[in-house]
Amino acid sequence: MILHVDMDAFFASIEQAINPRLVGKPLIVGSRGKKMHTVVCAASYAAKALGIHSGMPSREAFSICPDLEFIAADQGKYIWTSEQIFDLLKGYDLPLNYASIDEFQLDLGSYPEPLNLGKKIKEQIYANFNITASVGIAKTWLLAKLASKLNKPDGLTLIDDSNFEQILRKTSLDKLCGMGGKIGANFMAGGLKSCWDLYLNLPEFFSQSYDNSSKSDENPGKSSERPKSISHSYTLPETKINPQVIRAWIRLLSEMVATRLRQQNLVSATVHLWLTGPEIGNFGAQKTYQSATNDGYEIYQRSLKIMAKSSLKNPRIRAIGVTCGSLSQGIYQPLLSEDIRREGLIKALDRINNRYGEGSIHPAITVLTR
Amino acid sequence: MNQNSFSPKARWDRFEPDKTGFNPDALGERIEVLALFKNAKIFPKSFVWNNKEYQIETITYNWQERLGQAQVNYFSVLSAGQMYQISFNNSTFRWQIDKLI
Repeated sequence: MILHVDMDAFFASIEQAINPRLVGKPLIVGSRGKKMHTVVCAASYAAKALGIHSGMPSREAFSICPDLEFIAADQGKYIWTSEQIFDLLKGYDLPLNYASIDEFQLDLGSYPEPLNLGKKIKEQIYANFNITASVGIAKTWLLAKLASKLNKPDGLTLIDDSNFEQILRKTSLDKLCGMGGKIGANFMAGGLKSCWDLYLNLPEFFSQSYDNSSKSDENPGKSSERPKSISHSYTLPETKINPQVIRAWIRLLSEMVATRLRQQNLVSATVHLWLTGPEIGNFGAQKTYQSATNDGYEIYQRSLKIMAKSSLKNPRIRAIGVTCGSLSQGIYQPLLSEDIRREGLIKALDRINNRYGEGSIHPAITVLTR
Repeated sequence: MNQNSFSPKARWDRFEPDKTGFNPDALGERIEVLALFKNAKIFPKSFVWNNKEYQIETITYNWQERLGQAQVNYFSVLSAGQMYQISFNNSTFRWQIDKLI
């Protein structure tokens, strides 16, 4: 069995724990300090009840609720809390997966009383941090994650053989992980409305995630499999035309992607760059190279070459994304002395950033992104 | 244990309010604090700011952050109906009031 812990409105709940005056009020946490020029990165349940959700422009959120409380995100405290919860869960001495900043997965194996364990974890989190979590338990990570979403906030849900069909019948397809985007929309357009419809039409999808659960149990989290691509993107506070600033963002995103590649000992042969803006529209292009890399500078250089494909000179840019695909295990051995020196430099930078936090030492150009 | 998928240390894109320009809320003023150090934890009890003493009624939350070699302990505290954020830098041993919440 897999136990999935999903924190409830994580950032907003922490802000409400810090300031009890905000409890029960509609509150958004914005990714930047300018409250009318940012996006919602977390909304309290009172705000969600009004239709405000993550990813929504803050201006739109304020038009729905002018009295909305606003807090600028302070990631330090969210990261610290997340790490503390991870440490708390490590105490159970079960295989543990750090799925995201507010999601954790425990592989219970044949743990005798999973519901009691779920209850205990929820109580411990609340006692330590004064915030609630929803817990889902099922045979696979996919169903456990679904279970955690069914009774939010402060939920505890078990999906087993006795309620599998009943729950899938009453759960709309878009609630299933991976079905929120185009894939889910295509399925829904094809007449598949509920998770049960998907199960009836594509049993292999669920046979991987349910019937063949022993296979999945070897990998408690989807993330233990090799990813198909790694990407980072950023929406700028306002449209930018300064090419130096745009290059700085591409460099930063390239470094972020490269860091994650190196953390997973992967190299990438394909770089995809996308840009959006009033003149350029949705520009996206990619190129595959013979030599795979996980060097941020190299990814940056490849991204610039892709950007040069755009016929427009100095277009205004609003959002930028860098994706690395065609991933393989990093077994590259540099031969040229220049490459050996470069690899030594990257290792030294990684050691510094691992010790003091990523971005502690960074390419000078990325200062323009601050 | 699998930590490949998510690294909580990934702080490239962290928002740093004080570095994005003038922040009218930031105080950053040195304060004197009476605190209890117990079981490797810090419990501020009262602080003096601008010659006035504030009794801390509740610590609503605390968290830590590394700034270079220093570790900074942050506390959100309630005193006489007002919330404050105060912090202790374990490298400089400086207590400061960060802002009114």
